Amino acid sequence: MEAKIIDHLFRHHSGKMVSVLTRIFGLSHLEIIEDAIQDTFIKASISWRNQLPDNPEAWLTAAAKNRVLDIFRKLKTEQKYLPNISLGTDIIAINELFLNNEIADAQLRMIFTACHPDLDPRDRISFALKTVSGFSIREIASALLTKQETIKKRIYRARKSIQQSQLEFKIPQGKELPQRLESVQEVLYLIFNEGFHSNKKEELIRKELCGEAMRLCKMLLKNEYTRTNETYALFALMCFHSARIESKTNSDNEVLDLKHQDRNLWHPPLIELGNTMMNKAISDATYSCYHYEAAIAAEHLKARHFEETNWDKILYWYQCLYKLQPMPNHLLTMAVVSIQKKDFINAKNYLKELKPQDFEQRMYLYYGAYTDYYDATNNIEEALKYNKLALVNVNNNQEKQYLLKKNLVLLSKKK
Amino acid sequence: MKEFMMIFVGADYADLGLSPEELQNRMGKWFAWGNKMEKAGYLRGGNALTPQIRRIVGENRTVTDLSSAEVKEIVGGYYLVEVKDFDAVQEIAQDFPDYDLGGTVEIREIMVFDR
Repeated sequence: MEAKIIDHLFRHHSGKMVSVLTRIFGLSHLEIIEDAIQDTFIKASISWRNQLPDNPEAWLTAAAKNRVLDIFRKLKTEQKYLPNISLGTDIIAINELFLNNEIADAQLRMIFTACHPDLDPRDRISFALKTVSGFSIREIASALLTKQETIKKRIYRARKSIQQSQLEFKIPQGKELPQRLESVQEVLYLIFNEGFHSNKKEELIRKELCGEAMRLCKMLLKNEYTRTNETYALFALMCFHSARIESKTNSDNEVLDLKHQDRNLWHPPLIELGNTMMNKAISDATYSCYHYEAAIAAEHLKARHFEETNWDKILYWYQCLYKLQPMPNHLLTMAVVSIQKKDFINAKNYLKELKPQDFEQRMYLYYGAYTDYYDATNNIEEALKYNKLALVNVNNNQEKQYLLKKNLVLLSKKK
Repeated sequence: MKEFMMIFVGADYADLGLSPEELQNRMGKWFAWGNKMEKAGYLRGGNALTPQIRRIVGENRTVTDLSSAEVKEIVGGYYLVEVKDFDAVQEIAQDFPDYDLGGTVEIREIMVFDR
């Protein structure tokens, strides 16, 4: 009687079943399918209150299978275009689609659909979390710190683009594959970062987003066409970052930078897994941004104390990354790393290449780097000036507190 | 000992937009509650009700079919327990999982006729 069902079974199963039914009925019936699957879970949640089935997963799959006929009937009364199910041998084919490897295939098709370039980039994440990951509108809204209305609109827009472009529900092949895979990797990367880098969210939500991105990335690794070096590198990067997630905040949910994190809280099994993935990722010499980002993350993890960090190597990886992806924030980081290395000449050179406007809302980071530069070169007057500029431009309360503390430290140095 | 019925009133799950994850968590709580009552030995029965309603009203026996979406609250199910008094049921009802969804537990004593 002490039966327990595995964590997230419903959530994960929702994505699976929506994908399989979409494969049968087509993307144009997605809404009906999602409603039908949702109904299955409501029924299960009530009828399992007193007695769990022996095999909950099989029960849910069987329930979803039964919905095939319900949906078929429903669509028939609405006179919509229907796939040709003559209900004889076709049922054998449908049964086939509920086998594990076919479920995985259907899920990959759904991932590729959600990350299709015809969808607005912002809509992709919301749509993927809803359809592939089984999150509700409310859960997505709180995960992305966005209003529920906005999420609803994004999902609506994504569905509309799918209809308009008449997207096919398939895994792209041949020449099309690399570019489409890139788009999938990017969406997974963004979902992961939403979880890992946000400091405004509850820990639980952060972990869920990271976990979900990793689960989807693992699915890419299980398929021979999507199991590429970049996918391995992306997964390695996620492992390395996740290994540190416990140490990222203190008990008051304040963000801690690498210098102040308790390195004993890092999770060795994830570091090991990341290393294994990284070894697979470098089987040939073409490296992606994920390779370099993973290399940087790994370098940080190698140092048992902050003081032991190998800044030369980190700077080198950043230089490689910047070549591939010339973004101002990489340059800024290179400046900060140079300050760590006490290489003030290069630090200044990197900073000179940047303008505050490059960073938009995160302009305070630019001023913060200048503050650090002048602080490290004992020009406290200038440091104070830039710290004030940073303060004027910061919105996030936690960051503001950090800068205010910094201000006090600088003032005490002035005396 | 007396028999009591706990009647659960509230919105239907289908109308609340709960996610699969939330449904699973809720189910876990209901499951744990039922288990607890069973182990304690006072559970006498219970059922969940489907949300379709057919209502027959008044002398004309007017019949209406309603869905949960058309009524604000719906009786979703009940448990029968055998305990000492109302206070004991109230104690048991603390574990009802759906208070946060605006749910209500109504406790009623089963009437016993003297023979």
